[in-house]
Amino acid sequence: MDIWNQLLQGFIIAGTPVNLMWALIGCALGTAIGVLPGIGPAVAVAMLLPITAKVEATASMIFFAGIYYGAMYGGSTTSILLNTPGETASMVTAMEGNKMAKSGRAGAALATAAIGSFVAGTIATVLVTLFAPIMAEYAVKLGPPEYFMLMVLAFTTVSAVLGKSTLRGMTALFLGLAVGLVGMDQISGQARYTGGVPELLDGVEIVLVAVGLFAVAECLYAVLYEGKVKESQNKMSRVTMTRRDWKRSIPAWLRGTAIGFPFGTIPAGGTEIPTFLSYAAEKKLVKNVEDEAEFGTTGAIEGVAGPEAANNATVTAALIPLLTLGIPTSNTTAILLGAFQNYGIQPGPQLFTTSSSLVWALIASLYIGNVMLLVLNLPMVGLWVKLLKIPKPQLYAGILIFATVGAYGMRQSAFDLFLLYAIGVLGVLMRRFDFPTAPVVIGMILGPLAEAQLRNAMSIGEGSARVFFERPMSLTLIIVVLAVLVLPRVAKAMSQRKRANLPA
Amino acid sequence: MKQANSPFALQTLVGAGVLLIGAGLAFGALSIPSEAGYAGVGPNFLPWLVAAVLALCGVLIVREALTGGFRELEQDTGDSPAPYWPGFIWVSAGLLANAALITTIGFILSCTLCFMLAVQGLRRASGQNAMQPAVLVKDLITGFLIAAPVFWMFTQFLAINLPGLTTTGWL
Repeated sequence: MDIWNQLLQGFIIAGTPVNLMWALIGCALGTAIGVLPGIGPAVAVAMLLPITAKVEATASMIFFAGIYYGAMYGGSTTSILLNTPGETASMVTAMEGNKMAKSGRAGAALATAAIGSFVAGTIATVLVTLFAPIMAEYAVKLGPPEYFMLMVLAFTTVSAVLGKSTLRGMTALFLGLAVGLVGMDQISGQARYTGGVPELLDGVEIVLVAVGLFAVAECLYAVLYEGKVKESQNKMSRVTMTRRDWKRSIPAWLRGTAIGFPFGTIPAGGTEIPTFLSYAAEKKLVKNVEDEAEFGTTGAIEGVAGPEAANNATVTAALIPLLTLGIPTSNTTAILLGAFQNYGIQPGPQLFTTSSSLVWALIASLYIGNVMLLVLNLPMVGLWVKLLKIPKPQLYAGILIFATVGAYGMRQSAFDLFLLYAIGVLGVLMRRFDFPTAPVVIGMILGPLAEAQLRNAMSIGEGSARVFFERPMSLTLIIVVLAVLVLPRVAKAMSQRKRANLPA
Repeated sequence: MKQANSPFALQTLVGAGVLLIGAGLAFGALSIPSEAGYAGVGPNFLPWLVAAVLALCGVLIVREALTGGFRELEQDTGDSPAPYWPGFIWVSAGLLANAALITTIGFILSCTLCFMLAVQGLRRASGQNAMQPAVLVKDLITGFLIAAPVFWMFTQFLAINLPGLTTTGWL
C-alpha cells in the first residue's frame, strides 16, 4: 500500500517534537482566533505570513493548517454563546445553538459542535488521504485549457453565484484581478502598472490586501457603525451530552459530513451552502414530534451537530482542490496558496511527487490536529470562553498591532503601512455598500495563475481560442460554467412565476 | 450625510469610482506592449479585459443607483446607525501616526501610540469617557504589554526584522 507508507512517513515527520509544537500552537491560536470576534483564520494566517521567511516550509504549513482548522472549532463556541452572528460559516450553528444556550443547554451544544467537528474532520481527512493522490494523478493529465476553465469556474462561483448581487460580486472579483496585474508579467517579464516604483515589480503583497480588507477594515467599521451594539452572552452549563443527545447527534454528524465533503472538493467555495443544506436536511428528517418541536424554539441538537460537521468536512475537503489543482476555493485557502508560493512551491498535481514529504506531513498533521483540537475544545472550553470577556475597544486596537507586524514584517517598508490604511478604508467602503471581499482576495491570487494558463492554452491553440472548445474536458467545463451561471437564474424565475400563479 | 436630496447619491458615487478605476486601468494598459508571440494574446490582454469589465460594472452600478438603489442589499444597511466620524478619525490617526513614526521611534513605542489613539476612538464610539487619566494610563500599559512581547517574539524567536528605537533588539 503506497498511500499507507507515505502517510506513515508523514506521521514520522509531523510527529517530531518541533512539528508537534507548531501544530499545537497553531491549533491553540486558531481556536483563540475562532473565538474572538472581529478576526478570522484568513487574516490570522495572512498576518503570520512573514514567518515564511524564516520557518521551514513543513513546520509553517502545519502551523497554518492548525490555525485554519482551529478557527473552525473556536467559531462555534462564539456563535453558541454570543447572541451576535459571527462568521458566515457558523451562522447556521448560531440559529439552533443560540436557542439551546438560552434554554440552559449551552454545554450540550458546545459538546456536539466539538465532537461533531472532530468526527467530520477525521472522516474528511481519511477521504482526503484516499482521494487526493488519485485526484493528483488524474490532474496531471489536465492541460492549460482545462486549468484555465477550472479557474474560470472558481471565479464564477465565488463572485456570481455565492454573493447576493452578481454585479457587486463581479466588481469585487475584477478589482482583485486588477490588483493581481500589478507587477511583472509572468510570461513576458513585462512590468505592468508599477508606475516606475521598483517595490511594485514584485506585485502587491497579499498580506497587505488580506490584513487591510479584513483586520483594519473590521476595526474601522466597528468604530464607525458598531460602537453602540450591545452584546449579551449566554450562560455556560456543564459540557456533557445525555444519551438522547448522542443518539440524535451521531446520525446528524454523519449526514453533515456526507453533505459537506463534496462541496469542499469542487471549486464552488464557501461553507454557506453545505451548512444551510445540512440544517435543512436535519429539520426535514426529524421524525420524533418532541424533537421537531425543539427546532426554532428551545433549540434542537441536530441543528448544531449537522451544520458543524458539514462545515468541518467542507473545510477539510477544500484542501483537495488546493493541493492537487492549486485552486483555492475560499479566502483562507487562497492565503494558504500564497504561503506555498512564498516558499517557491506551486500547489498542483506535481506537488505529490515533488514535495511529497511536505504534503504527507501536512495530511498527517490534520489527524493529529483534530485530536489536539478535541482536547483543547472539550475539557478546556471554559478557558476559551474567557476570551469573550475581552472588551471590544482593547480587542480591536490590539488587532491593529498584529496587523502592523504582518504588513511591516513582510517587506520592512513603512510605505506599506500607509497602503494598509488605504486598503482598510476601501474595505470599509466595500462593507458599507455590501460588496463581498472574498472575490478580491481570490481574484488577486488566482488571477496571475489564470492568465498564465490562458496564454499557455492559447499558445497550444496557436493563437486560436478554439482550443477551449475542441478538448472534451475543457468543453465540459465551459458548459458547467454556463450552467452555474444560468441555472440559478432560471430556477429563481420559475419559482417567482409559480408564486405569482398561486393566488390566482 | 447629504442623503436628503437624492437617496442614492452615495451609491452613484461608488459606481462612478469603479468606472474611474476602469478608466485608469485602460489608461495604464495603453503603455503595455502587445507582442503576443504564438499565443495571440499578449501581456496587455488581461489589463484591457479587466479595465473594460470594471468600466462596465461601474456603469451598471450607477444605473442601479439611479433606478431605485442597489439590488438585494442586506436589510440592515438601509437603516444602519449614522457613522461615528470622530471615532474613525481617532483610529485613522493611530494608524497613520504608526506608519509615519515606526522607523524613527521603533515598533514598540509606535504601536503603543497607535493602540492608545485607536482605543480612544473605540471607547468613545461605545460611549465611554476615555479621557480620564486613569483610563489613559491603563491604555498606555495595555498597549505596551501587547506591543513589547509581540516585538520580542517576532524579532528574537522568528528573526523577522522590525524597527527598534535602539539597536539592542529589546526596545
